[in-house]
Amino acid sequence: MDPSEVEFLAEKETVKVIPNFSLDKIYLIGGDLGPFNPGLPVDVPVWLALNLKQRQKCRIVPPEWMDADKLEEIREQERKEDAFSPVPSCHYMELTKLLLNHAADDIPRADEIRTLVKDIWDTRIAKLRLSADRFVGQQEAHARLDNLTLMEINTTRDFLLDSLNSMHKLRANLQPGKSQDY
Amino acid sequence: MDTRSYMPVPPGVGTEENVFSLDDILLSQERLPCRTESVFPGLGFVDKSSDSRHIPEGTKMEIPLWLAKGLYERKRRVISVELPRVYREGWRTVFGADANVVDLHTMGPYYYGLGSQMLHFDSPENSEIAQCVLQTFIGRFRRTMDSSQNAYNEDTSVLVEKLDCLERALFRAGQSGLNAFQLWEKGLASHLTASSLVTNYRKRKLADLQA
Repeated sequence: MDPSEVEFLAEKETVKVIPNFSLDKIYLIGGDLGPFNPGLPVDVPVWLALNLKQRQKCRIVPPEWMDADKLEEIREQERKEDAFSPVPSCHYMELTKLLLNHAADDIPRADEIRTLVKDIWDTRIAKLRLSADRFVGQQEAHARLDNLTLMEINTTRDFLLDSLNSMHKLRANLQPGKSQDY
Repeated sequence: MDTRSYMPVPPGVGTEENVFSLDDILLSQERLPCRTESVFPGLGFVDKSSDSRHIPEGTKMEIPLWLAKGLYERKRRVISVELPRVYREGWRTVFGADANVVDLHTMGPYYYGLGSQMLHFDSPENSEIAQCVLQTFIGRFRRTMDSSQNAYNEDTSVLVEKLDCLERALFRAGQSGLNAFQLWEKGLASHLTASSLVTNYRKRKLADLQA
């Protein structure tokens, strides 16, 4: 899977916007949106929010977790614990990038948020690598991937699956005669 | 994102080979030290060092893996296959000490594949070989993973130098994941680029065609 596909999926998440135009409710296959009234916040998917923003038809209200103080807390939590701690949104990386790139003027302390999210990401990737190594070292058969996000899984998927396949075959050598079906 | 014009068949790795895998075809050419257990009549011309018409019993020679697999039979002893150096006791101890320092590319380069293939020949050490090959893979996994997922935009030839062919394939998989992510993060993934076929295309000149 390509990262841009993951980003595409993330665009389905909803975000609050404050429109500066009025429009009746619109009916889409994915659900009904609106009605839009100037000054009244309304929930829309990210793809629409970005489109409206680019045409200067709205102001985006950043999600609750996209706040430097809260992210700092999450970062500390992530560094303290060995296991993956819960993330504020299962598309945090994609949303941060999308919103900060297109609507940085609506988000206070945008640069700090960018650094914090990158820190959180790096910590989690390091943990992911550590646990992958432990997983292979102990020759485990299954693992729980609690609290991992799609983007994180996606960066290491090809490598990890190929390695585990090879390891499985090498391990099947230990019991000659048994079939290698899996 | 790297797109390929064809999908290469991956190597079989285990005791089964993939017929269409290029790596497995190359692996089947690996030479194994063997000893003949019976006379091979009329085949003396194969062994250039002797003048006799036949290959006598007890001749030591190197034959490729595919031939050894064909000739080897449990009941009728035609040839006996000896272990290549890397799979013998001495090297197994080295791998047990620290698998990371060994240059598997010069030792192999199909260390894992050949190790699995050696299990076809009933050797009393088979279980130790299988165990050692597996432990080597596990021991070297961390380094392969770290180097493939950290080396961004740098020369990787030093990193892959000591890797076995199987590990190189894994390294490439890790690199493609890393590169795709970095490209996305820099915002380059959304740019459409012309296919290399189109950019390299030039109009042919009439003079070139007639020459």
